[in-house]
Amino acid sequence: MNSGQHISQEDMALQAMHALPFEEAVVTATHVAECAECRAELAELLGDLAWLSLSVEQRPVPLGSRERFLHRLHAPNPEAKAPPPVPIAAAHTGSTAAIWLGWLAAAAMALLAVSLAVRVNQLKQKLHTQTENIATMAGESAQARQVFELLHAPAAQHVLLTAAKVKSEPSGRAIYLADRGALFFQGSGLKPLTKDWTYELWLIPANGGAPIPAGLFCPDATGSAEVVLPPLPKGVAAKAFGVTVEKAEGSATPTAPILLAGTAANPGE
Amino acid sequence: MSENPSNPILSHERSTSMSTVHRDAIAQAGDPVQPGDDLLLEAVRAQDQGAMTTLFDRYGGMVFSVALRVLKDKAQAEDVMQDILFQLWKRPELFARGKGSLGGWLLVVARNRAIDCLRRRKPTDAPEDVVLVASGNLANETERDAIMEKVRAVLEGLPWEQQKSIELAYFEGLSHAEIAATTGDPLGTVKTRIRMALFTLRKALQA
Repeated sequence: MNSGQHISQEDMALQAMHALPFEEAVVTATHVAECAECRAELAELLGDLAWLSLSVEQRPVPLGSRERFLHRLHAPNPEAKAPPPVPIAAAHTGSTAAIWLGWLAAAAMALLAVSLAVRVNQLKQKLHTQTENIATMAGESAQARQVFELLHAPAAQHVLLTAAKVKSEPSGRAIYLADRGALFFQGSGLKPLTKDWTYELWLIPANGGAPIPAGLFCPDATGSAEVVLPPLPKGVAAKAFGVTVEKAEGSATPTAPILLAGTAANPGE
Repeated sequence: MSENPSNPILSHERSTSMSTVHRDAIAQAGDPVQPGDDLLLEAVRAQDQGAMTTLFDRYGGMVFSVALRVLKDKAQAEDVMQDILFQLWKRPELFARGKGSLGGWLLVVARNRAIDCLRRRKPTDAPEDVVLVASGNLANETERDAIMEKVRAVLEGLPWEQQKSIELAYFEGLSHAEIAATTGDPLGTVKTRIRMALFTLRKALQA
């Protein structure tokens, strides 16, 4: 897609319009992030597109639109205020306490019985949890072994994913072993998403095949996320990896734009 | 970013509040002269609502028109316009010096946001990442009208196939593969047409 070292002007024009297919957009975005000359050309093209935008028939804003905007502008910042504390009614005390003494004793016995039943139930739950923990730990141990092997495999490909555009705050690192279809991805600086959306990792095959979904993930409060050993076919050489934002259930095909992209170096590099 | 050369505010006075700016923006001869975008943005950063209202009046229609062209739905187009301008109010730093003209930047951001809306996807294209070469002084209405006229004339002069390709790519948000499938042309031809159309536009407007 690029002639020589730089991206062709045709592809750059499509990139400016987000009209390149995913895998080509990944390669282009990666190159642009590192190449000042192509970045300048992209900025020129975006300037051209601004002109192109001026070709549309000019319409006034809808009636009431200005007022709606001013209303938003003048609205105070919506800061949630804690509701006023609800006063707790003072306990009613009466002179007939002695009458209730018997009832209180019965209530105490009932409470004791309930308390014992709860305790028995807690012990049962604890036993169940510990059994589950043992099973989980066994599974985690196997997974940890797999991760260790992946991280230390000489044949593993190491890929650094950076922001597809100029800004490089979000980033990711992928380690991929094609023979085993083993992948470890670690992202950082990722923006939080609302519950309807998720990040999705993509493997771009070197043979020009369609991008392969390589796991959904959501960052934690610090913007970090991991994808560990997602189910992938074995023996697929990677040309690149990319990250997009998709609907919460994930997607079978990537949706532009690409947030993170990185080309896969040769194993061992 | 270029500043309106007709800006009447002296450079050493430009750090004053926007209310002062508004007063000074009225030329002594009684001919109203609008403050430049740089000055307005500076005031917006200081939370001057009057400055933001001026920007709304200046660019709201343009942004709405682009969004409407893509979405073909007034309500959705207004949502896009409101969101973008309100985002500028909340985070004026999204547009920084060196990102081209504010008007051009708003137009590109509006188009991208409208395409996202059309495709029903989350607006993941960060506005702060849109960096473009200055595209004329869109703050000046007379100059803006002249540019619009020129752009339309250039586009009308393009071969029909180029017009169609660029329209499908930019305003309909189709990929070049989708355009090729729609028009029945080879991928390479579609790419060349789009590039040629933009090249012709740039050349004509820089002349």
